Amino acid sequence: MLKSSRLASFCATCLVLFAASWVHAFDLEEKVIKTRLKNGLTVLMVERDFSPTVSLYIRFRVGAVDEAKGETGAAHFLEHMMFKGTKTIGTKDFAAEEKVLARIEHLGQALDDERKKGKAADEKRIGELSARLKALQDEHRQHYLPNEIDRLYTQNGGQDMNASTGQDVTTYFISLPANKLELWARIESDRLRNPVFREFYTERDVIMEERRQRVETSPEGKLYEAFMAAAYKVHPYGLPILGLPEDLAFMSPDAIRAIHKKYLAAENIVIAAVGDIDPEKTLSMIERYFGALPSSPPRPTSILPEPSQDGQRRVDVSFDANPSMIIGFHKPNAPSSDDYVFDVLETILTRGRTSRLYSKLVLDRQIAQSVSAYNGLPASRYPNLFAIFASPRHPHTGPELEAAILTELDDLKQRPVTDEELAKSKRQLKMDYIKSLNSNSKLASTLSYYELLMGDYRYFSNYVAEIDKVTTGDIQRAAATYLNETNRTVAHLVKAPENRVKKADHE
Amino acid sequence: MNNLRFSAKTIFLLMAALMLAACSWPKALSRTQASPDALAYPPLELKLIEPERIALKNGMALFYLEDRELPLVNLSILVRTGSLFDPEGKEGTADLTAYLLRTGGTEKIASDKLDNVLANLATAPAFSMSLDSASVSFSFLKDDREICFDLLSQMLFAPAFEKNKLSLAVSLKLEELRRVADNPQRLAFREFNRLLYPDDPRGRYATSASLKNISRADLVDFHKTFFTPGNMMIALTGNLSREEAVRLVEKYFPRSQQNIKPVAPAPPPVKTGRGVYLISKALPQSTVVSGEFVASKSDPDFYAFTVLDFIVGSGGFPSRIFSAVRNNEGLAYSAGSFYRARPDYGVFGTYAFTKTETTLKALELIDAILLDVINRSVTQDELAWAKTSILNSFIFSFESPHQIAGRQMLLAYEGMPSDYMKNYREKIHAVTLGDVERVARKYLKNGNRLVLILGDTDRLDPLPDSWGAPVVLTPGQ
Repeated sequence: MLKSSRLASFCATCLVLFAASWVHAFDLEEKVIKTRLKNGLTVLMVERDFSPTVSLYIRFRVGAVDEAKGETGAAHFLEHMMFKGTKTIGTKDFAAEEKVLARIEHLGQALDDERKKGKAADEKRIGELSARLKALQDEHRQHYLPNEIDRLYTQNGGQDMNASTGQDVTTYFISLPANKLELWARIESDRLRNPVFREFYTERDVIMEERRQRVETSPEGKLYEAFMAAAYKVHPYGLPILGLPEDLAFMSPDAIRAIHKKYLAAENIVIAAVGDIDPEKTLSMIERYFGALPSSPPRPTSILPEPSQDGQRRVDVSFDANPSMIIGFHKPNAPSSDDYVFDVLETILTRGRTSRLYSKLVLDRQIAQSVSAYNGLPASRYPNLFAIFASPRHPHTGPELEAAILTELDDLKQRPVTDEELAKSKRQLKMDYIKSLNSNSKLASTLSYYELLMGDYRYFSNYVAEIDKVTTGDIQRAAATYLNETNRTVAHLVKAPENRVKKADHE
Repeated sequence: MNNLRFSAKTIFLLMAALMLAACSWPKALSRTQASPDALAYPPLELKLIEPERIALKNGMALFYLEDRELPLVNLSILVRTGSLFDPEGKEGTADLTAYLLRTGGTEKIASDKLDNVLANLATAPAFSMSLDSASVSFSFLKDDREICFDLLSQMLFAPAFEKNKLSLAVSLKLEELRRVADNPQRLAFREFNRLLYPDDPRGRYATSASLKNISRADLVDFHKTFFTPGNMMIALTGNLSREEAVRLVEKYFPRSQQNIKPVAPAPPPVKTGRGVYLISKALPQSTVVSGEFVASKSDPDFYAFTVLDFIVGSGGFPSRIFSAVRNNEGLAYSAGSFYRARPDYGVFGTYAFTKTETTLKALELIDAILLDVINRSVTQDELAWAKTSILNSFIFSFESPHQIAGRQMLLAYEGMPSDYMKNYREKIHAVTLGDVERVARKYLKNGNRLVLILGDTDRLDPLPDSWGAPVVLTPGQ
């Protein structure tokens, strides 16, 4: 006992030191060089020279929310197509290739038109068209050098090349040996201006497999999709990034082109380069390759806001899996001050073994297998959700766990969280901040994300100071305002008898 | 290869680019359309940074590198143990031991209090148990180093294994087992690993029955056998001096006791896992995994096999499985190969997730690729692409101080020579087409392969006769 209380007081001392000293240990704003090119494209650079490598992020303020009705999945599809090369990368003779591509598209469209007739479709014609398409695809391969972008990056030592599509933002990233910066500029600027959407119809099959992998065979994926669809009735945040199966199955190259057009606005692009770079040379390289990109006036948004929810929404998803649930509440997005409050609340509720929900439901009452809160679902450009993901521990049930969670949320309204809980949560968020400075790619990712979304990366460098302002009263008020029944969506995964799952699949 | 040499083709492209530039691009951009293969790069200096290896008084090996950028200290520990040392019938002991070191309190501090102290430090050590080692990773503010070392030392060397925390851990583990089958990939890979080692401790897994046989005394025994300083290595990097690093470990970690012998590495596995297995789960997409035993990490064939694996399916988009299964046929989003090389054995495998209707087609494509590389189809171009890629990305093995120290510790743990990293590039560089063909022929033998298909197996087309009769599995908990 004696030992542990000494430990505790020792601990309290270092925590005071901690709060005072660490914030200035790494002055981010002093290290970030931010430049806006004449066309409006923003460049962020940080020199970190431990290793002769550089992490490069290019982000577009274009995502799934920018898709037209009936074309869900187009933004993600475009991200796949951006790896198919350009007019000068991946072709043996573009003039000849272009003609074959036009014929493929024509034929593919005819095939889709026939398929769209559903039961009235002419199976013989489908067979014929499919065979002709296959022959043309084989012919196309004579003109095409597949996977050139990957080949070039990999062969030059590229690491972690990938891309991601979100509701708000699409991102292309890679880390390269520091001397290969020009390769990145050459490829990225070219695929931005001159992409060629090759292998369109086989890629569509690939994406349908991606959907099967991430959604159709995944209980978490199924539950998440149903939950989001229930929580958003008007705003596109309720639609899946991978696309609705019926949209995906008939996706057309024109839908992809429409999204690509939105990439071509320099103001909507942020580039971050973090690593062993010479900022002056890096900037002039970026200027040379990206400086001629057109700027375009800000697009008026046609996205309708989600009306405020006027009653609880509930949905059950049947699947051959053990129960789990998502509970969500609508709330304002960053940079609203309430968003910071929910960051703190997320930590207080489920971060670590001493957090409220974990300690009560997993450790003490032992009715939960897992519980984790998440602020900012599914994205941050528009008002979003505060959500709790949880799974009961057998023999306890989903509804039983849900009731226990809701009781805890109600308690937040009845009495303020303790000062200790608040202080602990702030320390954890500060620790997250400092650990996120520890890698080139993490830093490039974070800086470019906030610059694009908030219009200023300093949202991130000021984050700790803003978090410090949150009070226990703020949390109580936010809980009372947002964590209410009428503002709530609950989705449960319920175990389906196996034969039922089978039958559904066979249909 | 970085010389600026223009081929006839690149000059043509360059001219085409210039003409394009004339109509739509400012003049400066002409150069931006040149063939990317013709770009000239400034030279790059690769310094092979090595951590300092220090033999400590307590018998531990310390791998140290300074890193003053942030006010953090990063620590990793490897322990010579693993779930393959689980007592028979008590599978899960190793895993529970690691979990209880973190959650079961110490002789001086009760678990709940310990959780609180750690939460206030905004950090906690992560303990994990794998097949053939345990590891701890812990990162904290440099000003907290004394208390963090004290706590870690108590957790590692004076754990309490509180009974109620053990029963909670067992219950959580049972629930985890109940949930394995919910996720087809997790189930498939667990069963694949089990089937690969049918006659070896590596193939034994925790079950609901084995978990119920485990008592606190089993954890105490397991801990006593394996968690001694003589069985551990530590990597310590960050904002602290060499002297401070040595002082901290020697102050807080006990000396090895003379009467406790270090654990010997486990013998290599019995390599008998083969055959075709089916697991039925009514899903629209199948998980297909295949694999076999191949060259170990200390075998001279390791380098040629690394290149072969890169070409077959781990070298990204242009690798064979990816191009055939994903690009050309659109049969899968995820498909490729993996090569897990341990010091005394290696496992090579392939995987694809594809819809029920195309399951066999994907498997046949993969089979054909493996047969093809045995039959000398690898080209000089492919070899050059794979070798250059591996060599050029080598630099990322030296991205951060803790990664460097941690890897050097792992190599020492595996008993690899200390100049392994130094010689790696040279050995990859020396791999010839003949080597790749030879290792393909030597290791990739159809009869030795283990194949597992998880999916709606009732709806699969009949398997080829040459694969033999498949065994239908019903995984238990």
